[in-house]
Amino acid sequence: MALEILPLLTSIATFYGIYFILSLSFNLEYGFAGQANFGKVFFYSIGAYIAGIFTARILWGMAGVEGVDFFSDFAADIRLGVAASHPWVITALFIASLLLAALLGGVFGYLASYPALRLRGDFLAIFLIAVGEIGRVFVRTYEPLTGGVYGLSGVPNPMVWLGDPQARVFYALTVLAIAFIIHFLVGKLVNSPYGRLLKSIRDDELVSNVLGKKTPWVKGQALIIGSSLAAVAGALYAFYIQTIFADDFISMLTFTAITMVMLGGVANNAGVALGTLVLTLLDRLTRPSVLNMIGITVRLPFDITYLRYVVVGVLIILILMFKPEGLIPEKPVKTPALEIAKTYNNFEKKT
Amino acid sequence: MHAMIEELASPLLMSILLGSLYCMMALGLTMTKAITKISNFAHAEMVTVGAYAAVVVANTFRTGPIEALAAAFLSTAVLAVVIDEVVFKPLFNRGATSLHLMVGSIGVGLAVRYILSIFADMHNMLIAQTRIMVQLVAVIGYGTLTTLHLWVLPTSAITVVILHFMLTKTKLGKAMRATASNFELAKVSGIKTDRVRRITWVIAGGLAGVSGAFWSIYSPINPETGWLALLWIFASSILGGFVSFYGTIAGAYVVGFAENVGITIMSRWFGIDVAYKPLIALAIIVVVFLLRPTGLTGITLPSIRTVTSRLVREIRAGLKQQR
Repeated sequence: MALEILPLLTSIATFYGIYFILSLSFNLEYGFAGQANFGKVFFYSIGAYIAGIFTARILWGMAGVEGVDFFSDFAADIRLGVAASHPWVITALFIASLLLAALLGGVFGYLASYPALRLRGDFLAIFLIAVGEIGRVFVRTYEPLTGGVYGLSGVPNPMVWLGDPQARVFYALTVLAIAFIIHFLVGKLVNSPYGRLLKSIRDDELVSNVLGKKTPWVKGQALIIGSSLAAVAGALYAFYIQTIFADDFISMLTFTAITMVMLGGVANNAGVALGTLVLTLLDRLTRPSVLNMIGITVRLPFDITYLRYVVVGVLIILILMFKPEGLIPEKPVKTPALEIAKTYNNFEKKT
Repeated sequence: MHAMIEELASPLLMSILLGSLYCMMALGLTMTKAITKISNFAHAEMVTVGAYAAVVVANTFRTGPIEALAAAFLSTAVLAVVIDEVVFKPLFNRGATSLHLMVGSIGVGLAVRYILSIFADMHNMLIAQTRIMVQLVAVIGYGTLTTLHLWVLPTSAITVVILHFMLTKTKLGKAMRATASNFELAKVSGIKTDRVRRITWVIAGGLAGVSGAFWSIYSPINPETGWLALLWIFASSILGGFVSFYGTIAGAYVVGFAENVGITIMSRWFGIDVAYKPLIALAIIVVVFLLRPTGLTGITLPSIRTVTSRLVREIRAGLKQQR
């Protein structure tokens, strides 16, 4: 039992970490800065492909095998073997890939700020959805770089040298640690004066403009930070899933991240953590194999995946209609002045 | 030269067919965007529901195309009105932003699409096609002209003409244009905006359903059909300026031609992979939004009357000068 439940727990933990980073980045852009980045999956896929291609190519170069197709299963096994026998190399590659993904995600986020300054609301959203689809169609068709529909396989788990169950567990812990470090940093950022600047742009751009803030550049910065976070999430996903297919990066992923943010609470990172947890559990636990493991046999005359998507769709509508602010609504910013006011109030009450 | 014409005949016929279908789909999208301010992602699902309604009616009762089309029109018109009453109108009345309305329509789309998937899975119809035979009418070059062309083209032409006269000549059309141009002003002027809304949804949903029914005759369908066509529909609508009636018609045909004739020319003479075909419509969306958000024209639904009357006046003046 324990051996069966372990892969489930590690997959939930890893996906929770990845989705948490993704929804934090969406929350930073949409919840705080008011820029609806519906092309989230595009930046996510950039991270995944950068990490995948970079790591796989370097491992392939180290293996030095000739006459084997880079995208074949045999080549993937060779790469995993190389990674397993060089712990330091794969750790270095992992860290380098994350940094590279963050950097390139930021660059693409800067490019995305060009339309973001010209389009608003739903127009920007449609534009970025189209950009995401362009990215997917491109990587799917351009085979020399990404393996096309057959996918890019043989991206190793960076802890592969630890052996099977340990590698998964430690990778899941690493992802969670990274996610919570990012949570902490984003929390620091949005509680700083800069975070209040972001909120002021969201609430009334004209006012912050009048007060002398360069709002276009600040919006661009929010998109840069958000996109590089999304790319980091994508890189973590690539190292976990080990085989990247172009068709994994559909807009549904963006919509899931949006639902996580809206369910938990827009502009509230604690809420986002809650919303991500609910939807990750919904996503991971409603699979027939998992339900079998717990001891529930599903006898439905249809695929249970459809039911999950219906639930997500209905959830979106219900949130919008009855709780548009989310389960945990936005709180006032924790400024030093607020703290002083609170202690002063308490002091007044006591005396 | 002759060989080139023969080779292009097939994509040309295809683009006329698809252009007409996109036109019917995109007109509904444009009308709902103009009048209810929703970038309706659930429009795709209306196409799919219409297609499935046609399949069910045509295959169960062995009817001809007319009954199947009528069933598709009715089912999607009802669906559209129900969706509006249950989801969009309450959201709109609570002052939801355009982005919230769009996210709501994405939610509606997801729910409808996967409920339809459940239905299709239970009845073994995940891939389905109507059993309505399409007859060959003529062979032009490598292309074939079928009875499907002879149904789709007149239907779409008649739709456009009827909608044109409805928007320009009737009181209802005037009310629609007024609502599109300024909702509050229309409301205080005594226009029954709720009624206008409902009729808009009936037209938009019905047209989407009819084009879905045609689609199910044209090729096998699955529950994702509409969703996959959605970006093309959006491309047509956006190319036409997103709220422009005539722009949308032009946009739909441009998208149809660009994706069929355009990709044939590019793959035949420039060696570009046919798999890049979806990029054309997507590139249209991106380029239009970046360079000219008003699309092909500046003619919007409310300004039709002014433009036509100005044209008439100028033509009259020109005729007078000639005399």
